[in-house]
Amino acid sequence: MQKLFRWASKWWPGLIPLAVMWGFAAWNNTLPVEADLSARSSAALKGTVLDKTRIAVDGRDVSLVADAFSEEGRRDAVTAVETVPGVRLVDDRTRLVPEAQPFVWNAERDVVRVTLSGSAPLPSIKGRLTEAARKEVGGAEVADQMGLARGAPPRFEAAAMLLLDQIGKLKDGKITITDTKVSLSGMARELGGREAIAAALKNLPEGFSVAANDVKAPPYIFQAYKDPVAATVTLTGYVPDNNVHAAIATSAARKFFTEKVVDNLKASLGAPGSFNTAVVAALGALSRLSTGTLVVSDREVKLSGDALYEGAANDIRAGLGKDFPKNWQYKPEITVKPAPGPVDGTVCQQLFTDLLAKGKIRFTPKRADIDPDSAAILDHLIETALRCPTVNIEVAGHTDADGEDGFNRALSEKRAQAVIDYLVKAGLPASRFTAVGHGSTQPVAGNDTDDGKAQNRRIEFLVR
Amino acid sequence: MPYLVSFHLGWLIGSVLLGFCMGWISVVQRGNGTSKVTARWLAALAAALVAASFAHVVPGRFGYWLDLGLIMFACYLVGCTIGAWLRDRVVARSMRAG
Repeated sequence: MQKLFRWASKWWPGLIPLAVMWGFAAWNNTLPVEADLSARSSAALKGTVLDKTRIAVDGRDVSLVADAFSEEGRRDAVTAVETVPGVRLVDDRTRLVPEAQPFVWNAERDVVRVTLSGSAPLPSIKGRLTEAARKEVGGAEVADQMGLARGAPPRFEAAAMLLLDQIGKLKDGKITITDTKVSLSGMARELGGREAIAAALKNLPEGFSVAANDVKAPPYIFQAYKDPVAATVTLTGYVPDNNVHAAIATSAARKFFTEKVVDNLKASLGAPGSFNTAVVAALGALSRLSTGTLVVSDREVKLSGDALYEGAANDIRAGLGKDFPKNWQYKPEITVKPAPGPVDGTVCQQLFTDLLAKGKIRFTPKRADIDPDSAAILDHLIETALRCPTVNIEVAGHTDADGEDGFNRALSEKRAQAVIDYLVKAGLPASRFTAVGHGSTQPVAGNDTDDGKAQNRRIEFLVR
Repeated sequence: MPYLVSFHLGWLIGSVLLGFCMGWISVVQRGNGTSKVTARWLAALAAALVAASFAHVVPGRFGYWLDLGLIMFACYLVGCTIGAWLRDRVVARSMRAG
């Protein structure tokens, strides 16, 4: 021991080169040590959930700045850095992200973009929501303006994801989660979209409820355009289902006796009540116009066009309102087509024959009540009768051979008389018309087929 | 500590070698060396620096440099001890032989 102290008293000169070495070691190693510890600390924080993380290393001391999402997460992060080998001290400058009260999240859609705003509980959820929005809206831009905050209700992510699924069904609008209350507003992209959204909202996670669902459906539109030049009636827009579609198509084919029906209708949910009744009535009115447009938008019916004569115009303007279901609005804009020039009896006869070859006056079976679907052909017959005011006209009724002769004769005469009554009501003088009932005595086709019988049941106009 | 050792291994080996040389020389060197009082003061200074290092009172880079200096100094002392002891054995053997 004595020796050791004696030797040691002579060791001091070595301290000078040692101090020089120390200086070089410090000069060379300070920055590499700091870089190494910084990298190790960042690696240690990989598994933790933090926002705005900043690591600064001074010597072997680490200063950690970060926003944590829970007290536990904050402690875990500090511990993780403290246990990095080589770290001497940790300057803990972490804090908890602020708590949002109430916790609000919004998704807003306009024409070109979806804006996500409000608060998200975690960066990963924020990322997933943005990603989901991007997937849902396809080409539109997604703007992420969400901040991070604590205080989200349980199952927030599931609720937000479900609502983001709905954003694609909106043309524009806003979806908001306020704590556990969900509110929606805006306009659905397509018919049925509103109903689909309402149905999806039933699957909201437990605890969430719908405070307001003000999503509006786009108007339910049905349009018909009668083009006398192309001799077509084009039907476009929506019908509730295939049955109504078939009913409307059949009805249109009966009403428009000279035009071809072009059917471009699509089936869709969201039709207003009594849609079928209203549309059939409106098509009846359109069939009486020489040219016209019918637009049914929700519960509003707009009909514009030219009637064949003044009486028909008045009838369409006034009478049709009665045919519509209650709480429907009817807005007719009917003008009268300029009257064509007068013609003589021969031309008149030709016109009558042409008209009755194209269409038929229909009656209720076995009765003399005129079917309302015949309004269009009757209007055309009246228009023609008005062109030859001086001639007298015999209205002849014919039946098929079914039933007794006496009944058929009486029925055919009654039907002829019903037609005359209709003409008189439209303003023609009764003195110009005589009703004749031929029963089944003048068939134009065989009575052994249904088709033949249908041809034999007819009304003829004969100029006398 | 293991981190400091592994990161600066080359420098520490250098310190040990320097100490070894110094120890080797010190056995046969003539002269009085440091006085007892100076040695005590130096020991007290070293103890104070070690205490400061363990208490983490020196911040940032200065703290790191202090730790590095102390660990190099410790290596130097170990080198000195080994060097002096070995030289002593060598000297003793040659004296017996002589």
